[in-house]
Amino acid sequence: MNNLLNKELRLVIHPLYYLTALFGALILIPNWVYFVALMYVLFIAFPNIFMNAKAQNDTGFSVLMPVRKRDVVKARVMSMSILEILQVLVAALFVAIGVSINPKGNFLIDANLAFLGCALVMYGLFNLFFFPMFYKTGHKVGLPLLVSLSITFVFSSIIEVLVVMVPAVAKVLDGNTPSAMISQIPVLAAGTALFVGLTWLAYHLAAKNFEKIDL
Amino acid sequence: MEILSVQNLSKLYPKFDLKDVSFSLEQGFIMGFIGSNGAGKTTTLKSMLGMVHKDGGTVSMLGMDFDQHELEIKQHLGFMFGGVDYYAKTKIRSITEVVRRFYREWDDSIYQKYMKRFALDESKRPSELSSGMRIKYSLVLALSHRAKLLLLDEPTSGLDPVARDNLLELFQEFIEDGERSILFSTHITSDLEKCADYITYIENGRIIESRTKDDLLQAYRLVKGTSEQLAPVQARLIANKTHAYGFSGLIKTTDLESADHLEIEAPTLEDIMIYYAKKEGLNE
Repeated sequence: MNNLLNKELRLVIHPLYYLTALFGALILIPNWVYFVALMYVLFIAFPNIFMNAKAQNDTGFSVLMPVRKRDVVKARVMSMSILEILQVLVAALFVAIGVSINPKGNFLIDANLAFLGCALVMYGLFNLFFFPMFYKTGHKVGLPLLVSLSITFVFSSIIEVLVVMVPAVAKVLDGNTPSAMISQIPVLAAGTALFVGLTWLAYHLAAKNFEKIDL
Repeated sequence: MEILSVQNLSKLYPKFDLKDVSFSLEQGFIMGFIGSNGAGKTTTLKSMLGMVHKDGGTVSMLGMDFDQHELEIKQHLGFMFGGVDYYAKTKIRSITEVVRRFYREWDDSIYQKYMKRFALDESKRPSELSSGMRIKYSLVLALSHRAKLLLLDEPTSGLDPVARDNLLELFQEFIEDGERSILFSTHITSDLEKCADYITYIENGRIIESRTKDDLLQAYRLVKGTSEQLAPVQARLIANKTHAYGFSGLIKTTDLESADHLEIEAPTLEDIMIYYAKKEGLNE
């Protein structure tokens, strides 16, 4: 497994894509849709890495190694999850800076811990739709991206609308004062757990699909 | 000991079936896997390795069931499907760096030896190599981890005659210790005449023959005769070709009768392939 991950990091993911995490800096914009800041990794890194891997015949190479087909899927799901987690960590840094720059908060969801928790769920949902769909063919990226990106738009829109329209939701998810942040820790924890659970499920479904196809 | 055994392997496609493919290979021998384009050679090899999802049958290698011991078996297996067709713009050195970590028994001295022997330069990228060189690099990767069994798909096609001859010599060296074996598919039958001990012949997804090369060549005869002589033997022929002066055909040695008074010759592997392919064509 480590060997496949090593392959992902050395041959598949160009170091440039780690820099997409810096789009987290968009969290510093006052009054904005912060979920978008965390979508750049999905807009830029995912399509490019998968299309590049296809052009390089990465699957053809990977299955020549002494690994099982499902390990190839696992390595890719893990490496892309690393990018997502990196994005959340960088975003956390900008959330911390944002609190001092925009103490008044945002008209939509604030850049806070609950927001990071929701972003993790968003990534989990993206993974759940993207990976199983992609590994039905192992090479077609278009439709899986379209569907999974739509899901992330719908999910983030629902959260934003609820925060604005439903005070009870706003109470749990909104606010960027120190006390609000502390009360949001369970949301972040739940978001992390959901991200792990959904991604794990995504891997299993994707691996099952990939086992069935002929290379 | 049987190093490879394939039993009733099958794979169903909408327009093509691989049906009941069975053959086995002992330690210390080279088996040639022949068949025309699209006969099912690559599909068989890929189904054996789990790259193509098989619909039935069992495969065992090195005395272990493949499905149950896939990882362990793959550690001792070298396989290649054509030349290096991945990471065209990555330096060979970087590709090797990634590959070597996968194998417990990777041996850098073997790797360096073959790289030198094939005159491959590590600082080149696959896109800068000729197709023959790409096949050679692919082979180096398959050889450098002390594999016990090599499964090679068309390792000689695209190589010049000298390189092909070198490669066949290398195959002989590889099996010399009597513990390692090679199964390689090809449609260049002259390669097999030089080095194969066993031949497995597949046509239209079915195994037609799998036995020693000498037995196989003994089992068939090429016959020639006049147009008048054709009728009495035609039913016994595997297939025949007619021309202005008469006919030529392939027949099983056991089906020959001295009363036929035909001109009899020993066939080459190519003759056997050509007549069987002709027969399959007639059946369609």
